[in-house]
Amino acid sequence: MAGVGANNMTDRVGLGWRPELAAGIFAHLDKIEVIEVIADDYFDSASGARAIKTLAAQRPVALHGISLGLASTSPPQRKRLEKMARLVEKVRPESWSEHLAFVRAGDIEIGHLAAPPRSSSTIDGTAANLDRARATVGSLPLVENIATLIDPPASDLDEPAWLTKTLNASGSKLLLDLHNLYANSVNFGVRPGEFLARLPAHKIYQVHISGGKWIHDGDPPHQRLLDDHLHDPPDPVYDLLADLAERCPNPLTVILERDGSYPPMEHLLAQLNRARLALAKGRSAKAAA
Amino acid sequence: MNTPEMERFLAKIYVDADARARFLAAPYVEAARAGLQEEQCRALEKIDRVGLEMAARSFGRKRERKRTRK
Repeated sequence: MAGVGANNMTDRVGLGWRPELAAGIFAHLDKIEVIEVIADDYFDSASGARAIKTLAAQRPVALHGISLGLASTSPPQRKRLEKMARLVEKVRPESWSEHLAFVRAGDIEIGHLAAPPRSSSTIDGTAANLDRARATVGSLPLVENIATLIDPPASDLDEPAWLTKTLNASGSKLLLDLHNLYANSVNFGVRPGEFLARLPAHKIYQVHISGGKWIHDGDPPHQRLLDDHLHDPPDPVYDLLADLAERCPNPLTVILERDGSYPPMEHLLAQLNRARLALAKGRSAKAAA
Repeated sequence: MNTPEMERFLAKIYVDADARARFLAAPYVEAARAGLQEEQCRALEKIDRVGLEMAARSFGRKRERKRTRK
């Protein structure tokens, strides 16, 4: 294992591929154990897909979807599923993932990941959509919890219960975004550690870490934490990672997400090492227990 | 209870400022006008208004960024 904090579990730490980071990633491949690629960026680019396939020959690659909209009572667009299937077939990543979000309704494109009502009907729709995804792509995606600035209306389950029931209904594994968990917790009055403790740790295999900023609105003003991927992961995210490593029986793949305001590569590599230390801390505590 | 009609209504108030303003002025009436079920209309009366505005702005910025990237 590269870097510090090696532990006996085969945990791995890596980075989200972004064109702006390409040179830095290639210069430091020995310190980046896994690379996650936004799949949608390569749906319509044969040359891009070939480049990702070349990358996958050098480092394990995970594909990450952002536009299927699987957490919905409506089926995903067939053309998007087929594009994902073609990319998976070409790149042969070690895994692929999507968000538990809806992103459109009919001809209305929301433009980003929206939290659906957390209800049994959404769970049924999501499970059916994940089955469609499995049938088209050939494997189930890992599914990721999303950040939301709005407490999703018409919900009769809280987020940990909804996530757990969705995982049970679909058979999917969880890509746990710890900053999304943290942001939703602080925004809606939940203790992050309690949120984490209520999730089925044995279903968690991948992790995202990232950062955000506080935004203000309303009269009187309210503040909420926006998950913008433009800042370093805050300290509580690393604490949650250590907590997760203590609870989780599976080897974890941790990806640092950064979508802009790029710092020097050395700064990102230091964050990867901090993630390794958090994993090692949690695994040590697990071994000692 | 979630339905495709509910998701369509949510998507509409997330992306359309005029629809959102009409909704916030009379949530039950607007939800009922869209054909939503009684239970859904009642739930939408209790919507997280601060979160709705913040989310709508965030979605709008994302759409704008996608437009400028193309």
